[in-house]
Amino acid sequence: MTGQDHRQVLKGLRVQDAMRRLVTQLPTTALLSEACRTMIKYKVNAILITADQQTPVGVVSKTDLMTAYYAGLPLGTEVAQIMVGPPRYCHPQDSLDAALDQMREYRIHRLYVTLGLGEPVSGILAFPDIVGILYRFCHRCDKSLLSRGKKAEETAWSEQLSVREVMTPDVYILPEETSLWEVMGGLAAYKFGAVPMVGADGRPVGVVSKTDLITAYLHALSPDVPARTIMSTPVLTCQQDELLLDVIQRLIFWDLHRIFVFKDRPETLVGVLSLSDAARFRSGSCRACLVSRISP
Amino acid sequence: MGHTARDIMERTFMTIQPDMTIGEAMTVFRHASEATGRRVFGLMVTDYRGQLVGMLSMYDIFLLIRPKHIHIWGEMKDLDFTGMIAHACQKASRMLVGDIMTTDLITIVPDTHLLYIIDIMLKKHVRRIPVIEDGRILGIVYISRVFDHLLETFQTTAD
Repeated sequence: MTGQDHRQVLKGLRVQDAMRRLVTQLPTTALLSEACRTMIKYKVNAILITADQQTPVGVVSKTDLMTAYYAGLPLGTEVAQIMVGPPRYCHPQDSLDAALDQMREYRIHRLYVTLGLGEPVSGILAFPDIVGILYRFCHRCDKSLLSRGKKAEETAWSEQLSVREVMTPDVYILPEETSLWEVMGGLAAYKFGAVPMVGADGRPVGVVSKTDLITAYLHALSPDVPARTIMSTPVLTCQQDELLLDVIQRLIFWDLHRIFVFKDRPETLVGVLSLSDAARFRSGSCRACLVSRISP
Repeated sequence: MGHTARDIMERTFMTIQPDMTIGEAMTVFRHASEATGRRVFGLMVTDYRGQLVGMLSMYDIFLLIRPKHIHIWGEMKDLDFTGMIAHACQKASRMLVGDIMTTDLITIVPDTHLLYIIDIMLKKHVRRIPVIEDGRILGIVYISRVFDHLLETFQTTAD
């Protein structure tokens, strides 16, 4: 398949078709503790920081909060001290393809939607929003497994995408005794959002995500503690040949952003599949939409 | 009949602490409703000295239960909902009150006038306001009690 094929899938779609209209924001004077709580409660990965009259001036992401924890900044520090600005914007009429290109170019995970500089922010576009729109195509497409109830016999199973084709074929693993310092250093260096922790026998026993680290920061836990004290258990996994469609539905059910992928046995992790991977792939759940674009 | 926070606040209230789990806090919600004879939808969070440090409301619990990606569910009509709420409650149950409580607090003093209270409730969209004096919690003003007070005043005026 060529790059051109990928582009066909989102052709004609605009940012406004996929964006979310609720944007989580805090004033520049909010404290880091409040930013941690807001991210945990609203389940968001970033907060828009606004100055007077709701003017957006920056963004604080989970990575920024993790870095603040690493640097030992007091929770009473104002968010203005760590925010990254200005936010990156797109226009509601921009094409989704252009927005995705911009996200890739600047290596960012979200764009704020505005009609122009100085105008209020009307929405946010992140990778899971694009997964949503890709699924809309699956529903309208005869070739999709989503219509398997109607005509299962016509479904071409070989057309279906498997997890292996979309996942990041690389996984960063650490022993459960690793200190939070090292976990944070590793996540920052390899740009992963979470790391599976393995026990002495090499089996995955838990996961530490940036959310777990932010929660540890909020609890004023020393970064000297071993990862096992904060990791979430068990590790949710899938097999690399499972259907992408089924696994994405599982992610949504478990309210997760990523799942670790194994090859033969659950203890041999070979990759990670996140909703971001699914969105970057710019396709629905099967090969059909790589060749025949379904109109929105 | 007075028209200040002192006259309409509830003096009987239960509080929760930041290190309680959400599961434990939910038990207090249930008990508070039984103990006070009114449905309690929000609790004050106090530290070990009894100082107000946050509020936890029904909305905070809703936010915690709401799945992260629900905005794309509209695209997945075949989603199987079996067990989803139980799973979300189980997950939320282990979190701490201090992780999600609201710390951007609005408080009043016993002499705050009813008209100011109504103004705060409208502007800030809050349904309950703690009443504080010298750093101590004296009571809490509920939106329902404010309305009850107005009902009584309407009645008296009509008479």
